[in-house]
Amino acid sequence: MRQFKAILKKDIVMELRTKEMLTSMGLYAVLVLVVYQIALSQAGASFDVLRIAAGLLWLAIIFTSLLGLNRSLVHEKDQGCLDALLLAPIDRPVIFFAKAIGNLIFLSVVEVIVLPLFYFFFLAGKTIGGPIWMIPLPMIIGSIGIAGVGTLLATMSVNTNGKDLILPVLFIPIMFPLLYASVAATTAVLIGDPGYATVYWNSLALGAGYDAIMLLAAYGLYEFIIGA
Amino acid sequence: MTDETVSQHKFLGIPGNVWTLGMLAIGAILTTIDFVLAFFYTPLVVGAQVAETRIINGIAVSNQLLFSQKIFYFHVPVAIGSFLVFFFTAYYGVRFLMTKEKKFDTRAKIATEVTLLFVVLTLITGDIWTRFEWGVWWVWEPRLTTYFIMTLLVIAYFVLRASIEDEERRATYAAVFGIIAFLDAPISFAITRLIPSSVHPVVLRSGGGLTGSQLVAFLLGLFGMLMVAWVVYQVRLREELAKERIEALKASLEG
Repeated sequence: MRQFKAILKKDIVMELRTKEMLTSMGLYAVLVLVVYQIALSQAGASFDVLRIAAGLLWLAIIFTSLLGLNRSLVHEKDQGCLDALLLAPIDRPVIFFAKAIGNLIFLSVVEVIVLPLFYFFFLAGKTIGGPIWMIPLPMIIGSIGIAGVGTLLATMSVNTNGKDLILPVLFIPIMFPLLYASVAATTAVLIGDPGYATVYWNSLALGAGYDAIMLLAAYGLYEFIIGA
Repeated sequence: MTDETVSQHKFLGIPGNVWTLGMLAIGAILTTIDFVLAFFYTPLVVGAQVAETRIINGIAVSNQLLFSQKIFYFHVPVAIGSFLVFFFTAYYGVRFLMTKEKKFDTRAKIATEVTLLFVVLTLITGDIWTRFEWGVWWVWEPRLTTYFIMTLLVIAYFVLRASIEDEERRATYAAVFGIIAFLDAPISFAITRLIPSSVHPVVLRSGGGLTGSQLVAFLLGLFGMLMVAWVVYQVRLREELAKERIEALKASLEG
């Protein structure tokens, strides 16, 4: 437990000192929103953005998280920190949890920034179908899955020749079910068609199931990755 | 290091060579029978109603009879086959992680190659089918998405393998990714089925299973395809083992 706190604290302190990752992740998310505006600029006044809003939001989150996952591990590898961690008598699963929770925290901070911005840019003046409290839940479940599986895949990809370029190739097909469920849940809330509550809770349950299975697998397989 | 060639393995007293040839023959025959039955013997599936009864060839026709449905007898066996072979990728991955023996990594790689072959066949036949079909078998729609994801997973497996030079690390990473990919495939399928999509409605099959003659053709095709898959795997395995022996011989000549 102390080891876990130590690694987590190291990551957070390092980030707070340089603020490198948060600023680049945050800016990247905002830039993605700008690109969305360009994409939607010719869509016409009667185009209902609400229909695809959830998809756009999750797209932004996925791409930002790819950036964040890469950076969190490239530093470790370049500065030899990964080797140092392996030499120290720390249990391998602890490293996994510490890194995953660290990634989750950074991703959550970025999401807290992006969600209101997204609303401000694209959804201002539109009525949200479901209750507001329902919106953060799919974000939480999705982020947990992204952080957990992403940490495993990022540790793999950082040790290859392709470095960060391989991560999207590995990450996106594996994330597909979670992404699908999260977009379905978020769309259900945003549009609020009759019967949205069943779709919402259904999708959340499936997303949580995905998280449970994949996090267990990632936790079990991490020690093979980090030893190789 | 001399590894036994497949032909020297004896299973139930019959050498490996003969098994492979035998399976190939039986597999090819079964698949051919499947095709023949599919085209000449199985009844056509009733499709949607046509607007008014017409006389074609002296018979009053009021339904569209689906000829394109016959692709089902090829499509489903390759689809099921691809998924079964993918299981072996994960299985050999697990065994490699447990024992760190190179032969399991070789087998995992070959299993994934066979999976790729079958997945591509599934996608092509599935695409042909959805072009021609008329609305009765829409149940396959989420499957096309899932199969596309499976294709991406298998391609990602090979991209991962190609980008690592160190042998042990390559084998370990490939094994881990193979296991995660194999877990992901059924989850994808379940999720696309269970969450309704407003763009691609899943029309559930009403009126259940296959009639007798259809079932016979389908099962023959299924077993035939599985045997063909096994044969492709064995041939590829022999090629890999021969390559390894050549490498070992080269090394011993130089050393």
